[in-house]
Amino acid sequence: MSSYHALAKTPREAAEWSTGRLIRVNMRAIVGRAYPRIIGLTREPSWIFFEILLPFLAVSAFVFVYRALEAPEEFIGFVVLGGAMTAFWLNVVWMMAAQFYWEKDQGNLELYFSAPMHLMSILAGMAIGGLVMTSSRALAVIGIGSILFGVSYDIQQPWLLAGVFFLTMIPLYGMGMLFASLFLMWGREGFHLAQLLQEPIYFLGGVNFPIRAIMPVAALAIAVLPLAVGLDAMRQLVFPNSDPEEVLAPMLPVNVEIVILAVMGVVFLVAARLALGYLERLARREGRLTLRWQ
Amino acid sequence: MAVTGRAATVRGLMLADAWRSFRTAIGLGWAVESNWSDPFLFSIYTLVKPLAAALILVVMFQVITGGSNPEFLQFLIVGSALWNVVFGVMAGLVQSILEDRERYRMIKYVVVTPPSLFPFLLGRSLARVAISFVAVVLTLAVGVVFLGVDLQVNLLYLVPATVLGVLAVMALGIFMAGWCLQLRQEAWSYPEAIAGALYLVSGAIFPIDILPTFIQPIAYIMPTTWWLEASRRGLLGHGTPGVIGGVPDGLVMLFLLISTAVAVPLALAAFAWFMRRARQAGLLDMVTGS
Repeated sequence: MSSYHALAKTPREAAEWSTGRLIRVNMRAIVGRAYPRIIGLTREPSWIFFEILLPFLAVSAFVFVYRALEAPEEFIGFVVLGGAMTAFWLNVVWMMAAQFYWEKDQGNLELYFSAPMHLMSILAGMAIGGLVMTSSRALAVIGIGSILFGVSYDIQQPWLLAGVFFLTMIPLYGMGMLFASLFLMWGREGFHLAQLLQEPIYFLGGVNFPIRAIMPVAALAIAVLPLAVGLDAMRQLVFPNSDPEEVLAPMLPVNVEIVILAVMGVVFLVAARLALGYLERLARREGRLTLRWQ
Repeated sequence: MAVTGRAATVRGLMLADAWRSFRTAIGLGWAVESNWSDPFLFSIYTLVKPLAAALILVVMFQVITGGSNPEFLQFLIVGSALWNVVFGVMAGLVQSILEDRERYRMIKYVVVTPPSLFPFLLGRSLARVAISFVAVVLTLAVGVVFLGVDLQVNLLYLVPATVLGVLAVMALGIFMAGWCLQLRQEAWSYPEAIAGALYLVSGAIFPIDILPTFIQPIAYIMPTTWWLEASRRGLLGHGTPGVIGGVPDGLVMLFLLISTAVAVPLALAAFAWFMRRARQAGLLDMVTGS
């Protein structure tokens, strides 16, 4: 029994935690949930192989298509950068959005609900761990792709680029947190939704081509998809000489896209918190919280 | 507990038993594959993914060529459509075996039934194969209706090419299923990785002449390369834009026949060996926590 329980005179008194203690417990939950993903960087070498190989195979296929079409070299760089961002998207879909469903299957979810911390802390831990883990994979895809396909970059504002990248990650993982609740609610259909969030999102996000190429749809994508906005902004900072008159031209100026990303970050994180609360109530009421394979 | 020995021959076991197992597995495979979801939603999930994959290629093509070189567009659409079968078969067979071992934990019970695993495995994966054929038809239909793909179907060439090609792809899938039975968590990624590698070397979306020269020999020995080429000729009336397009029709079919004839017995023998090893090493009821 902890010292807190020993000192408390009544159960109610034991349950009344100070703000400091609440923060400490939630911070420990974040670190605890991020730990397996960060430590997993070295513990499971086969994952490193597959998580680099799979995006790289896709990148290579699209690079060869552009080569077959005799496309300008800038397109190869677009594909390599898009491939690296794909690694983050896959991480968001499979290791954020689908994670709670798998946790339910493995019997961990009821432990999360019954432990004395907020579920957002678990999701934040997943996001931080996933971000660190996937960054190593994305860097590998960029490094290998750049060397093999001879991509050259012209980064004139590295700090701005780093800022845009981190600003992209906030709504991206916020979206993953939101989907985690929705997937849990949709149960088995969530698996199909995860499938649906791959190629269609690569298309709408302009992962393999400049997003301006799908112009009427691109405006919608820029409004709702952090991947599309972040990628367009990063491409402007990495390949700044793209001709503004041609299809390689960006959708919007970088500073406008930064504002969009910031707004998206707030919207997705708030939506994730609301969805989580709603889901918890719904799951408890319907009793589906701990039913495996549902 | 591991299943260590082969079951004694069951008297009276006939093809009918294997057929019944196969038939039951088809129903089970469909239920698991569709995940007992709403049929309308399920059809949307199933159809949008391959269409989006094809649309990515179409936009790339349009951005660079502005619509000129329609032969290349047809090449892209047919390759992208047919690749659904390769991925569907490989992923179907491998995921059936992994799901039944790891998630539903039923594989050991199936193995000890009289018809054993093989007919069950084929039936269990058939749903995904059928779905992949739907995706092929849909992608081609979109290509014809909206993108001006000019189909000039030669059934006398297409039907044998499809039969041989599907046999070859199933052989690859059976090999992969046996292989994945030997593995741990990473096994889930194998079908995607192998299909991705085949996608690169088979000339699915670009002519194989574009590949680095040291990879091109691998492309020429893969049955999938010849199946795609034969199917393009059967569907479009002409081959790919690259060097392989200059090979005569008869020779393409012959290469497909030879590569399939090599792949099928090799895959069956490998599967039998993998199963034997799985029994001996206690892998049939192994749960890796994935």
